[in-house]
Amino acid sequence: MSFEVARGDVFALLGPNGAGKTTTIEILEGFLKRDSGDVRVLGVDPGVHANQRWLRSRVGVVLQELAVESFFTVRQVLERNAGFYPEPRAVDEVIELVGLRDKADVKVKKLSGGQQRRLDIGLGIVGNPLLLFLDEPTTGLDPAARRMTWELIRTLSQQGTTVMLSSHYMDEVEALACHVVVLSKGRIAASGTPSSLGGRDLGKVAISFSIPPGISVTDLPVAPSGCQGQRIEISTDCELEVLSRLTSWALVKDIQLVGLSVTRQTLEDVYLGLTRESLASSDGPRS
Amino acid sequence: MSVITPPRKDHTRTSDLRLVLHQVRYEQKAFWINKVGALFTIGFSVLFLVMLGATNGKQTISYLGNITNDDYYVPGFIAYGIMSACFSMLTVNIVVRRETGLLKRLRLTPLPTWALLVSIFISTAIVAVAQVVVLLLIGRFGYAVPFPREWLAFLFVIVVGIASFTAMGMAISSVIPNQETAGPVTSVAFFVLLFLSGLWFPLQASSGLAKFSNFFPVRHLLLAVRAPFEQQPGVSPWAWHDLGIVVAWGIVAAVVAMRRFRWSPHRN
Repeated sequence: MSFEVARGDVFALLGPNGAGKTTTIEILEGFLKRDSGDVRVLGVDPGVHANQRWLRSRVGVVLQELAVESFFTVRQVLERNAGFYPEPRAVDEVIELVGLRDKADVKVKKLSGGQQRRLDIGLGIVGNPLLLFLDEPTTGLDPAARRMTWELIRTLSQQGTTVMLSSHYMDEVEALACHVVVLSKGRIAASGTPSSLGGRDLGKVAISFSIPPGISVTDLPVAPSGCQGQRIEISTDCELEVLSRLTSWALVKDIQLVGLSVTRQTLEDVYLGLTRESLASSDGPRS
Repeated sequence: MSVITPPRKDHTRTSDLRLVLHQVRYEQKAFWINKVGALFTIGFSVLFLVMLGATNGKQTISYLGNITNDDYYVPGFIAYGIMSACFSMLTVNIVVRRETGLLKRLRLTPLPTWALLVSIFISTAIVAVAQVVVLLLIGRFGYAVPFPREWLAFLFVIVVGIASFTAMGMAISSVIPNQETAGPVTSVAFFVLLFLSGLWFPLQASSGLAKFSNFFPVRHLLLAVRAPFEQQPGVSPWAWHDLGIVVAWGIVAAVVAMRRFRWSPHRN
């Protein structure tokens, strides 16, 4: 497995459960020792004990299932952790950023699951990190809190924080990441930008619409590749030409193409294809 | 693999002293926030002393030079106070924090291992010393038990006791795999040893029970704490033999604790 991340990027690590996402993150932040290979985080080796204190004061980590002292208030926990860092972010600023202003003086045990997750993220950024690891940061959040977390990640990225994200939500990855790596069985199955992953930008485009009343399939100006009930599907590499022929035909005949949609393979389709492929073969593709 | 961000050229890091003081403050906060737990830890030794003193405090113990039961109980419960704070309370505290993932979370911050351990040690010592002071005052003013004849020896025993039993607490916590058993296992082991070591009733040095409990550090700490209280001339306030055995246990425990200390829960 080999990858590099540039400063200020949002980098996404994807893969099914057990593919090695958390292990990779734990090696990068120095919690686990790697068996072999070369790792540099912020220019230093996280496996070297002497680097760890330096690294931990510049790297924020939000893992899954981390506990927080439930008897402390949100502010107490953040102030405690802020004290560990040489250049911490102001605690009030963190509380504001993660949207817990109303809950600042509430005990952690009184927070909802989503609020606790936001506190986790707050603890990840209180040290003002150059690099932030987020392991499934929005799992369990309601849609509004998810969007707020996205905004937060964008803000941090704009301020120059490098973000390394793992997620099961493809819309999240598409909205945030500039670079994606798909892991499968501890190897890289594919990597690229979200829009080009696995040749997604070059793949076929699916055009579909409901067949107009009184029109038979054979009347259409282009041959459909599939038909589901009233729904016509055309899969093509030359979507412009097909669309042009279809729409000019419809305009001339004054026919409505109800529910016309043009879609590329979604990131999820690509992801499922990649991970299914490598699940089937015993040795996943290397990259 | 590599996550490249050009490092900022800075050499700032939080000063070690500030870091430890900061963490000690939150260790103390965590202890005192749980008022029932705090009262239980500190109050237990006081409660025992008051109860036993009220029951048979003025009886004398012939084979211990005719000292009264109160004279016997005050040093005994001072030793108990040290052991309950540094051993039972600490063990449960560490196991619960480790198994619920609280230690792992701290591991992700720049707080170094030694700073966390030192902070826990200082915080535990504060609780132990608080108990010692309360017990001394109750003994002196409630039961007319004189203060230690030799303060230096007394302070030395307290420091040795706190250090050794903290190491033992750390060692035991490293072999207990889950938080459900931590409380029962430590309490039972601790109370059996206390009982056999003669905390509640004096043991004759020649008895089989005394010989058995001489193997363990509990009885030796009881004896070592009592020595500076001895008012008879000719009896040394420095119980070197007992202190030596307590320290030996402490050193072995410290080695075990350092080798086996872990941050992450066993379930992972």
